[in-house]
Amino acid sequence: MDITIAWRNIWRNPRRTAVILIAVVIGIWSMVFMGALMRGVEVGMIDNGISTLTGDLQVHSRNYRNDPIVENSIREPELVHAALSKVLPPGAHSAFRVRLNAVAGNARHSAGVTLVGIDASAEKAVSFIGDAVTDGEYLSESDANGILVGQELLETFDTRLGRKIILMAQDADGEIASKAFRIKGIFQAEMKATEKQFVFVSGSAARKMLKMGNQVSEVCVALPGHRNSEAVVADLRRELGTGGEFEVNTWRELLPVLNAYLEMSNSFIFIWYVVMFVAMGFGLTNTTLMAVFERMREFGLLKALGMRPARIIRQVLIESSIILMIGMVIGNLLGILSVLLLSNTGIDLSDLAAGVEYAGMSRMIYPVLLESDILVSNLVVFVLGALVSLYPASKAARFTPIQAMAQT
Amino acid sequence: MKTRLVSFMVIGLLVISGGISADTRSADQRVRDGFEYYRGKSSEAAVEMIIHRPDWRREMKMTAWTRGDADSLIRIESPARDKGNGTLKTGKDMWMYNPKINRVIKLPPSMMSQAWMGSDFSNNDLAKTDSILNDYTHTLDKTEEVDGKQVYWIKSMPRPDAPVIWGMQRIAVREDDIILAQEFYDEDLELVKSMRCYDIKMMGDRLYPVKWRMKKADAGDSYTELIYTELRFMDTLSSTIFTVSNLKNPRR
Repeated sequence: MDITIAWRNIWRNPRRTAVILIAVVIGIWSMVFMGALMRGVEVGMIDNGISTLTGDLQVHSRNYRNDPIVENSIREPELVHAALSKVLPPGAHSAFRVRLNAVAGNARHSAGVTLVGIDASAEKAVSFIGDAVTDGEYLSESDANGILVGQELLETFDTRLGRKIILMAQDADGEIASKAFRIKGIFQAEMKATEKQFVFVSGSAARKMLKMGNQVSEVCVALPGHRNSEAVVADLRRELGTGGEFEVNTWRELLPVLNAYLEMSNSFIFIWYVVMFVAMGFGLTNTTLMAVFERMREFGLLKALGMRPARIIRQVLIESSIILMIGMVIGNLLGILSVLLLSNTGIDLSDLAAGVEYAGMSRMIYPVLLESDILVSNLVVFVLGALVSLYPASKAARFTPIQAMAQT
Repeated sequence: MKTRLVSFMVIGLLVISGGISADTRSADQRVRDGFEYYRGKSSEAAVEMIIHRPDWRREMKMTAWTRGDADSLIRIESPARDKGNGTLKTGKDMWMYNPKINRVIKLPPSMMSQAWMGSDFSNNDLAKTDSILNDYTHTLDKTEEVDGKQVYWIKSMPRPDAPVIWGMQRIAVREDDIILAQEFYDEDLELVKSMRCYDIKMMGDRLYPVKWRMKKADAGDSYTELIYTELRFMDTLSSTIFTVSNLKNPRR
């Protein structure tokens, strides 16, 4: 019966109810939508980070990450190979690479780059480069002098397909090795920095140039669905022994900045919810309070008829709960709808590329809905919403018949 | 009749070959001889370097020792604030010494393409002087006569896999092996920078271009000029000159 009365009370003044409803709807919608956007940015950053050569996990020689020089290569890649074949779940891919700092130069320009010697077919399954070549061709298995460069590097070097690029780097004997490569393909990446930093040659060409024998700098593994990297890393560490020759890391350890950002981002979303709610909550309290004052004579009458203050509080709370719930249903529907509308096209931030890149974000944002985010935002709104209605409700409960009569 | 014809042909051949034999060296040999001529077996030189830019100009005096194709040591003598700075090259390796920080550094690949002492010469120009002899194929492009002497313009194309940044070089060698010019082109065969050697005088035991001017093609009024003020050629120089410890602590 309380609910029926509450329902009727709500619609006694539709305009007032509509105002509160709109506040709630906009609040919920923005929480759901902005939450999804932030998650979308996160997912974009993770995908970006993982596919830009990081993978889900990597194996290095012990000192390589501190000092990525040719002396710190993995001397016996067969050991890693054997361990991987034992440990990796089906569907996982691995790639062995040479990855060292080098200097690229042509007649007019030179720049520091990261030389990546890749196993052409294995790399395809692990990192972005496999399908990033937009012009020219991808490397073949034992390309002796083909090189893939990024669009951005190509432009700064003022060169084109088929032209020569000289790479210089320190070889395994400590001498400066230099070799001429011809631009075989041009790749485009999510970030301009990637296009500028990395050049790809075949692993065999890199090893020959740097006199590395069959050594590699790193082994990169991509797991199906980016899951369970911690478990696989633990297995690998056990398999490779704790002798200290190898180092196995998940992408979270390899990209500490990204990881820190992700952890921070969770708190950010929650803070965002609370801020949104504070804005909404004031509107809610204010409107409910106004409604309560308007209905002073009614509450006075109920009091005079012998209604207990607790029931009046309950009555007001039920009314605002109903409004909150209606608002939540509409707000969620709107939020989910707008996310769905955007999830295919995404939001294109190319115009702001420079700034976006500085933050390490990808150029396209595809909003991502998480059940937990929706749940948390609704819970925040409902619990806090009921809480702020307590004040007007207790105000209503404290009206006396005398006060009510004095009110005209 | 028959014998006359044959003897005509023989004489004709002799005349033609005699005309060529005045200077029949291949383009490759000419470049080689030219470099041999200017480097000598060993040399010691006092050189002035002028770095000229539209709005400023810097002069340095230095002493340079070379031995064979591969070894050289250059030490700055003035101005005072740069005195003692040195560059040593042995084989493929290059070191630099700065007395202010008392450090010798071995040049990493990343510094090879940087300018040497702020000039229009790069470290690579110094480190890879013998590259022109080993990484290129030379063909004679044209011959011209300057001041009554033949000047051979030689076109040098890099071998397909040679690790050189240039797309082509052109070298002008006079018939008496004096190199008059060296031009550096990119892969589109556009001029990137060029060096002219002029003011040929008697230096040491031979005629030598005293002024060398390196100029970037698109740099307007900027160039670097080397002026040889003293030059002595000798058969050999002590190995102790071309050592890191001598770079750091000059023995003479």
